[in-house]
Amino acid sequence: MNKFSLQIKKMVVLLLVLTLIPFMMSGCWNRRELDKIAIVAAGGIDKENKDKIKITAQVFKVGEIKSPQSGGSATGKPYVNFEGVATTSFEAIRKITQIASRKLYWSHNQIFVFGKEIAQEGIEKYIDFFVRDHETRLMVNVLVSKGTAHEILTTETDLETIPAMNINDIIKDLGATSQAPQITLKDIAERLLSKTSAAVAPLVEVQEINKKKHARIAGTAVFKKGKMVGELTPEESRGYLWVIGKVKSGIINVKTDDGTKRASLEIIRANNKINADIKDGQLVITVKIKEEGTLNEQDSPKNLTELPLWHSLELLQAAAIHREITAALKKSQEYNADIFGFGEVVHRKYPLLWKDLEKQWDELFPYLKVNIEVQAKLRRSGLITKPISPSTEE
Amino acid sequence: MFRFIMRKLHFLHLLHHNPLQDKNKEPEKDPATTLLTKDLQQNLAKLKKILGTSNDIIIRTFTFGSNNIEAALIFLDGMVDKTTVNESILLPLMYEYPQSKSDEDSSWNNIEDIQQKLITVGEVKKTYAVQDTILSILSGDSILLINDLNQALIISTRGWEARGITEPQTEATVRGPRESFTETLRTNTTLLRRKLKDPNFTLETLVLGKRTQTDVAIAYLKGIVNPRLIEEIKRRLNQIDTDAILESGYIEEYIEDNPFSPFATIANSEKPDVIAAKLLEGRAAILVDGTPFVLTVPMLFVESFQTAEDYYSRAYYTSILRLLRFLSFLLSILSPALYVALTTFHQELIPTPLLLTMAAAREGTPFPAMVEAIGMGIIFEILREAGVRLPRPVGQAISIVGALVIGDAAVSAGLVGAPMVIVVALTAIASFVVPAQTDVGSILRIFLTLLAGFLGAFGIAIGILGVLVHMCALRSFGTPYLSPLAPLSTGDLKDVFIRVPLWDMFARPRTIGWIDPQRQAFRLKPEPPPKKD
Amino acid sequence: MNLETGKIPGYQLIFLIMGFVSSLSMLFLPTQPAKNLAWLAILVSIIEGLLFASIYTALALRFPGKTLVEINEFILGPLVGKIVSLGFLWYFLHLASLHLRNYGDFFTIVYPETPLIVFLIATIFVCALAVKNGIEVIARCSILLVSLIIFLYFFDLFILLKEMDLSKLLPLRNVSVQDFFKASNAVNSVSFGETIIFMMIFPFLNKYVEARKSLLAIIIAGLLIAISAARNTAVMGDLLSIFQYPTYETLKIVDVGDFLTRMEIVVSINFISMGFLKISILYYGLVLGTAQLLKLRTYHPLVFPFGVIITVLGVINYGAISELIPFALEIYPLYSFPFEIGIPLFLLVTAVVRGLPKKTKGDQI
Repeated sequence: MNKFSLQIKKMVVLLLVLTLIPFMMSGCWNRRELDKIAIVAAGGIDKENKDKIKITAQVFKVGEIKSPQSGGSATGKPYVNFEGVATTSFEAIRKITQIASRKLYWSHNQIFVFGKEIAQEGIEKYIDFFVRDHETRLMVNVLVSKGTAHEILTTETDLETIPAMNINDIIKDLGATSQAPQITLKDIAERLLSKTSAAVAPLVEVQEINKKKHARIAGTAVFKKGKMVGELTPEESRGYLWVIGKVKSGIINVKTDDGTKRASLEIIRANNKINADIKDGQLVITVKIKEEGTLNEQDSPKNLTELPLWHSLELLQAAAIHREITAALKKSQEYNADIFGFGEVVHRKYPLLWKDLEKQWDELFPYLKVNIEVQAKLRRSGLITKPISPSTEE
Repeated sequence: MFRFIMRKLHFLHLLHHNPLQDKNKEPEKDPATTLLTKDLQQNLAKLKKILGTSNDIIIRTFTFGSNNIEAALIFLDGMVDKTTVNESILLPLMYEYPQSKSDEDSSWNNIEDIQQKLITVGEVKKTYAVQDTILSILSGDSILLINDLNQALIISTRGWEARGITEPQTEATVRGPRESFTETLRTNTTLLRRKLKDPNFTLETLVLGKRTQTDVAIAYLKGIVNPRLIEEIKRRLNQIDTDAILESGYIEEYIEDNPFSPFATIANSEKPDVIAAKLLEGRAAILVDGTPFVLTVPMLFVESFQTAEDYYSRAYYTSILRLLRFLSFLLSILSPALYVALTTFHQELIPTPLLLTMAAAREGTPFPAMVEAIGMGIIFEILREAGVRLPRPVGQAISIVGALVIGDAAVSAGLVGAPMVIVVALTAIASFVVPAQTDVGSILRIFLTLLAGFLGAFGIAIGILGVLVHMCALRSFGTPYLSPLAPLSTGDLKDVFIRVPLWDMFARPRTIGWIDPQRQAFRLKPEPPPKKD
Repeated sequence: MNLETGKIPGYQLIFLIMGFVSSLSMLFLPTQPAKNLAWLAILVSIIEGLLFASIYTALALRFPGKTLVEINEFILGPLVGKIVSLGFLWYFLHLASLHLRNYGDFFTIVYPETPLIVFLIATIFVCALAVKNGIEVIARCSILLVSLIIFLYFFDLFILLKEMDLSKLLPLRNVSVQDFFKASNAVNSVSFGETIIFMMIFPFLNKYVEARKSLLAIIIAGLLIAISAARNTAVMGDLLSIFQYPTYETLKIVDVGDFLTRMEIVVSINFISMGFLKISILYYGLVLGTAQLLKLRTYHPLVFPFGVIITVLGVINYGAISELIPFALEIYPLYSFPFEIGIPLFLLVTAVVRGLPKKTKGDQI
């Protein structure tokens, strides 16, 4: 390789780079400065009229949240809600740019709320954009409002600065009561893809406390093929969560002393096992729940930690869980929505049989036989054993 | 290309006469004008003509012996040790010569005898060539010319005011030797000799620079260094044909493997212990008269992350420090680029609360993030340069003004966002952790920030890939620059990201020479003495 | 005639092949027909891949020091050999441009407003830099990049553990045998079969015997891909089937303590470095083969023109991404069949039958 052609080539390469630079300079392409984007904290969809929807986007007003320069004397609400009305989600979002000075940026979207009407109409056609677009998140928490999405996004907050963060934090702490599932867009999409399993989402409602509107979680919305068909109460919701193994913590109230007194038991951990069997030509689902709890509160004067009482307490606990599960099961069979994913269990166990079952699942599910076996244990009783009352035994 | 041709043309005529190469040849073959004659006055006239009339040239004419033999001692004032000249040359000649006159008069007019019996200086040479005498005078030696003799004695009387051995200015240590090299080559070789009392420690000297006549020494340990490395160094050094070698940096630029690379492929240090350690690993050192900075080759990239102190303190903390240094280097080249990429392209990667804080800080700042990053980077470089150039007390003031006033004022005036100031400050501090790569770091930082501004993370990745390809292709005197990482040399990894205890470093680095691999005995791991029952 | 003076040791070959095989495979593999059994299909395809690779190594060991182009001429004679070599070079060229395009397409999803050509030019520029420096430099880069990727790979695996639900990998008898093998064939032809390019690189091994190490590399790389496919399925379940870039989507859902969120950038880093390796190796094989075919003294003058050709071909390869998946599934296995197995097998059989190379000296071509 002689030096000359090497030099020529170097010049050619240099020329190429030089021509590339103005090319680079001319287009900003995807560059968007932080002060040119509107960070969306929450999105909501409502039915506007017969064929139009309204998208509400809650946007952080970053200047109001915390600005190191101006000592934090925030005036006004630190968020703003933009609304766009159109026939498709994408179009509605784009319409917002006509009123908002900055481009909406969806990558930090925390929650997504469906209004009840839209949920009942069917959500799959509206979430396509949110799964397809590269900017939106799959892990956004999805909720269904008992009223409109818009009213949820205008609720008051006390500890958090904006409703979206407030609701998001509430959802993250749902495990404390385990009375509503935490559902992401990914879960919904996964369920919508399935032919048999039904999607669920936490329900949220507006509650007035001291003349201030607050958002409150109130059970679970049940979907069937993308359409909301019914609701589960908080207790039924926990029944549902027991079956899918998502109960993290919570309180079980049982009645002691022949129903006159009460004791509160805390759920420490729970395991689930779902099995499908074919017995005598009939499909039977067995749900086994193993639970451990602690005695956290009692108003009975008796020492409940004594063995016979302790055992009866465990049995009462098991019965309470059983009751919750049965209620949830009854509701879901009523709605004919396989929210537990029993179909998938059968699919895994009997892949060949499933090909036929899959088609008839809608007829089969309402009459599906489900055995519920609950094993509940109590492990601890807090820091004290005897109640704080004069002992009654002697 | 033009530069190449121009250089060729410009130096073409220099190739024809090279006085240095002719120096060591037999005097008979030289042109007559460069030979000494038997006539002292003629010789002196010749020397005066060449040396000019500078007033630091001392020509001391005197006579000695009963025959009043004429003689002259020529030296440069300030370059010679006066005591030696007076007591070891002039005194014996003028006082001791007459006493021996009674013995055998005629045989004393012999230069051999003067050299052998009278001059009480360690190093005395004879020469016929004028050129030699000139060079010797300029180097601080004294020349003794005697009438009727066509030879001159070169008497080593070098001695001048030199800086003493001080603490190193560039490589500070908490633990370890505190001496550093000085500007005098001889002192420097002595410092090395005192570390390596090994007959295999070899110094090969040559003179470079037509006008500076700089002494350059190649130091190595015979039997450890790869002989081909020494050959290559000599070949490259001998190719240097230039006016002046004022500092080892001159040599560095003339013998680099890839002159266009931003990466330095020749290491330097001013600490004798560092150089000794490198010689012991099989490297060769190039010492240059007039500078305390000694070059070593080959240089590996990972060498920049090793410091002398790593080997003097305990292994655990040293290993953590090593990792920190790699991290700092990455931070110093990447953090502004990452900041720009994250805030202008990939906001989704920033956790939401952090994004809100950053967005709040950026609210109302007028420049795009990339301009901010590059601008702040340039301001930092200016501050650094000012801090280095200014006299020390003023320099400190500059850094205070720069850091506090400019940074704080810029933020409170809303010119730049506070996060950017943090990023630039972090970069600045991180870049000083690896001093050997600081200059490369600055270049790469700007390069990557530009790319990040245009193409985000993709730009950074492409930039880093390009740099990586370049580094993989780079060699330092035949050794791949990225070894022992690429090509992988698992044994050498003991001294890269972590430093294993010294007793476990059984072998010398494989990638450097590997002539005498074993450095110590097996099983040096200290253990408690076996229990006696 | 020495086009390449560099030599690479055996372990570097392992890194090269690992980088080559697992590059695009980590992001995009045509395993859709195998549904939740993608990982099993990949495991099966490893066996196919090993079969292919053993043919390549057998051929390489029979003709030590000869590249595919030289072997072609040696076995098939100068004319036919040249024609077959030309076919191979076209295949390499097409592959390089396909991968480059695939690469660019991925980035136009992350950066929708940036023109595709920018990614193609930037990438091919870096690849050309590597190719110009020869196989030694590509091999050294592969050590660093593959180590980085493996580190990131296990990091991904670790942070995704929380999201995994292994029951999503079941049931095993979910897919028809036909679909299953369709997937595994497709996987084999896009990932393992393409190692035919290493027939251009085997001659530069320090020891020819070390070509056998390619089998080991294929096993390791195959396992890595299979595990990543299993991971994706365990995290995303049936949802995977609707995504173009499953790994990318999988890492999008990472959320560790609200701090490590949206790790898809890790996939991008993976993809940039691996795509770089894959394209560089194909590009290198292409220019080296062309130089050998044209009996040039050096391949350097070819680097720039071929870079332009690959880029242009990359732009006009196909219109939309939706054309790619049917191509990868239906057409590509057929298209690549002669190059990946047909001709090499034919060469090997011919060589064995004719007893080539003859033991006598003088087989210099």
